[in-house]
Order: sequence, then structure tokens, then C-alpha cells
Amino acid sequence: MTAEELGHDQLMRYLDGELSPEERIRVEQALERSTEARRELALFQALKRDLGGLGFSVEDDDGVWGRVNRRLTRPVGWLLFLVGVALWLGYGSYVFVTTPGELVLKLATGGVVIGLLLLLVSVAREQYRAWTRDPYRNVQR
Amino acid sequence: MGPEVERELIRKCAGGDARYYEPLVRAYEPAGLRFALGMMGNTEDANDALQDAFVKAWQNLARFDSDRTFQPWFFQILRNQCRDMLRSRKSRFRVEVLDESVSERASDPETGPERARERHAARELLWRALEMISDEHREILVLKELQDMPYGEIAAVLDVPEGTVASRLYHARRALKEALDGLGCGEP
Repeated sequence: MTAEELGHDQLMRYLDGELSPEERIRVEQALERSTEARRELALFQALKRDLGGLGFSVEDDDGVWGRVNRRLTRPVGWLLFLVGVALWLGYGSYVFVTTPGELVLKLATGGVVIGLLLLLVSVAREQYRAWTRDPYRNVQR
Repeated sequence: MGPEVERELIRKCAGGDARYYEPLVRAYEPAGLRFALGMMGNTEDANDALQDAFVKAWQNLARFDSDRTFQPWFFQILRNQCRDMLRSRKSRFRVEVLDESVSERASDPETGPERARERHAARELLWRALEMISDEHREILVLKELQDMPYGEIAAVLDVPEGTVASRLYHARRALKEALDGLGCGEP
């Protein structure tokens, strides 16, 4: 391999230890013939050494598992809860409508129940919107 | 974690049991966080990206080819997540990795306040240079220099032929050198 044939890719593979022993020997022979290639290699070696020194270890804390687990399991909980509520509401409405009784009483009870439900949904929506905008929601207290 | 254990855990996770996902998350969290920190530059965004990547990996486990290893596949998801966040207006590369929540390598034999200050300044300069280069250049440098991945794995994560990795690394290193020159640091 001539110094001219020693391309950037071969230089990178040599630097990163990605060459076979035979290829390494050929690259080293080409490096001996080229001052420019040796200079470039030295520059990349220094850069690699400094980048390697950037390594860091993060202090041990609870990790992300707790938050990941919440995101995996909560949708299932919500789904079961909502299906259960829908079934109860459906059955309750059916019983309420089919049970004999005075129309005025039924309308008044229906008004109270529907009004409470609307209020509950409105408050829950408001709380959810505030939570999604809270920049500190992931901060452990 | 051995490949057989990993395969078994993934098979059970694909069946929908989240309990078996915990060992996988714990095993890949340190490497994933290192990559995300290198990509995002700060712990807050890195943690968000990592969390989202684990959730996305879970949601797509049914499509995971169990003949492959989990690491390159997961890193592909994490890399896409980091890039999506950097593209969005919500996040950008922001150097805060040198704050008190991240400790430096404990194996450094040199001590003393003066030397520590010099090392800190040199590291900060490198982070600033990493901030200046493109996401594409930064990601390959992080995979190689912080994760110490072989070319084959980098190719799998970036979904490029193995031959492209050396060429991309050359251009990334040149770009970083130019950024350092721009910051007034002639030789690293």
C-alpha cells in the first residue's frame, strides 16, 4: 500500500482498531512513508484520547424504571376503570329508566347525577391540562 | 446479561408482562443514558429521551426480531428519539453535563485543584465543540468514543453499511477539530 493509497477510511479503521493484523502492517508501512498521514493520525489520536476522557458516570438514583413502569401500566388501569364505569352507568341507566316511578323524581335525580358527572369531567380535564404543562412533574419530591 | 436470558425476557415481555421488562431497562439504562447525554448535552432532556425510548421499545416489542440482539435495536429507537427531540422546538443540544448531578470518572489518577480546573476547562471546551457540530456527526462520535461500539454495531444502530461508518467518523472528527479550532483550541 502506498502512502497515497492510504485513504481516510483505512486511517480511521487503524485508529479504532478495526483492521486485521495483516492490514495493520500494510497501513503502518504506508504511514512510515507519509509524514502528512502520520501528522493526521497523531491529531486524531489526541482527539480520541480527549473524547475518551469525556466519559462520565451518572450518580445512582431510582433510575428511569419507575417512570417507565408507570407509563406502561397506567393506561391498562385507566382502561379497566373507564370500562367498569361505563358498564355501571349503562346498567344503572337501564335500571333507572325501566323501574316504575314518578317522572318528576326521575328527571330531578337524572339532573343531579348528570350535573355531578359533568362537573367531575370538567375538573378532571382542567387538572390534566395543568399537569401536562407542569415543568416539574417529573421531579422527585 | 446473557443473550439467552435476554431473549427469554423479551419473549415474556412480548406477551404483555411488564415485570420482565425491568431487568432489560436496568441493564440498558446506563449505556442508554450515556448516549442520550452525549446527544442532548443535559440530564433533563437525556432522561426524557431515554424514558420515551424505553416506552416505544416496549410498544414495538412484538415486531422485534428475536434473532437480533436488543442493544442495536434499542439504540436505533433511542437515537431516533433524540433526533426527533432535537428537531422539535422543545429541545436543543444544551451543555449541562458538567453539573453536580453527573460525576466525573473516578479512575483519574491525577488530583489537585489546579489540575482539576484544567481538566474541567478542557472538557467544557470539548462539549462546546460537540454542541457546534451537526447531530449526524455528534451521534457517530458518541457511539464510538463514549459507547466504544465496534463499527458493526454502529452500522446497525445508524442503519448504514459498515463501510460508511469509517467515512462518517472521519468527517465527524474533522468537523470536531474545526469546531475546536474555532473555539481557539489549536491542538486538542
